Amino acid sequence: MITRQDQLDLFRIISENISQDVGCYAFGGTAMMFYGYKDETKDIDLLFKTSKERGIFIEALIKLGFVETSPIFFYIPEKLKDRSKPLMFKRGDIRFDLFAGKIFRTLLSPKMEEDKYAVHDFKGKYNLRITILKTEQIVLLKAITERQNDIDDIKAILSKDKNFNWQYAVDEAVWQHEHGDSWVLIDLEKTIRELRKYVFIEEKYLKQIYAAQDGKKKR
Amino acid sequence: MEHEELLRKLEGLQTIETAAKTLGMRKQSALNLLSRLKKEGYVTTTGGGRQKRLYKITMRKQLPRAPGMFDILNKYNPNFKLNPWFDHQVHGKYTVEDALLDAIETKSFRAILACLRLFDQITDWKVLYHGGKERKLWNQVGALYDIARLTSKTKKMPMKYYHPSVLGRRISLIPPWETKEDRFKGIENRWGVAIPFKEGDLRKGAS
Repeated sequence: MITRQDQLDLFRIISENISQDVGCYAFGGTAMMFYGYKDETKDIDLLFKTSKERGIFIEALIKLGFVETSPIFFYIPEKLKDRSKPLMFKRGDIRFDLFAGKIFRTLLSPKMEEDKYAVHDFKGKYNLRITILKTEQIVLLKAITERQNDIDDIKAILSKDKNFNWQYAVDEAVWQHEHGDSWVLIDLEKTIRELRKYVFIEEKYLKQIYAAQDGKKKR
Repeated sequence: MEHEELLRKLEGLQTIETAAKTLGMRKQSALNLLSRLKKEGYVTTTGGGRQKRLYKITMRKQLPRAPGMFDILNKYNPNFKLNPWFDHQVHGKYTVEDALLDAIETKSFRAILACLRLFDQITDWKVLYHGGKERKLWNQVGALYDIARLTSKTKKMPMKYYHPSVLGRRISLIPPWETKEDRFKGIENRWGVAIPFKEGDLRKGAS
């Protein structure tokens, strides 16, 4: 497991080993640690705008002794067929899941870029800029990645964030759906159904999801 | 009582008396509990001594912060404080010169207005010049420097840096805002940068 301090140290070391400035977006457990929602995570999930930036980051990881590993045990087979599946690197207990441009079929949307929660700059030899997405985006992406413990993480976020905006999350899912992500509404609907066993989520969000799904089919 | 439920009941600002009353326990028990939550990172305190001690309690852990752009802008601006719209933290060396460039990059009116006060704190013009050139922001820095000098005391930029790095192109500090006031026209033409301010903005923000 990776603790918050491990994570900060690791990013600092990586910033000393990259060959130019790199920016990326943190989601999943990594982002949750930056928020203070949890103390440790199994993996570090990062999304890069371009494959080139991911490549520079990977070069630094390889310098630090990380080796590529298969995503086969971590994601469901359906997702692994996707071209935008992550490249995964491992060293001991520490694992990086690195996406470029897309998280499976989910794009880096204008809202993700604008509505950030935090920006952490790690100034080493070059600057490693890590942008932390909003909780609504994190929940949406957790619904998409469908890994073990993702639902528990979402429950942890919802229990601690009383200002969680479901409308924002659903609107973002609809935007993603309209831009080619055919899974996002199905994944989010499944997650909301599961969550409704534990937390109150209004029916209107499900209706909006069904309407958006039908709209696409009709077209 | 469960940890989460406890935090939910206490969330916000509390004194020891209000915390004890909320939880229906004695003052000493509440003190012990808050001390434990503080160790876990859910509580920070202010005051003490002659002032009443206040406990800030949150549902999620209050993590230590590394200062970033907003911290520097607010530190050196006595006239108004920015309410950060995202949490910027820098792990490593972060100087006033870096903060100035970051503020220009935000393209935010208030951040750029606040950064005028930083010119009096610049100590390393060489770093600012090279950083600005690298990030294609030097023209903007030069224009803001001239504006800052109109309204407040600033350190003087060495003459060797006092020239635009990009020529023949008009750059907008905050597109599409552009001043119509004659006072800034000279600066606009010198640096090729459209200034978004009016006189009144500078009076409020930078004087």
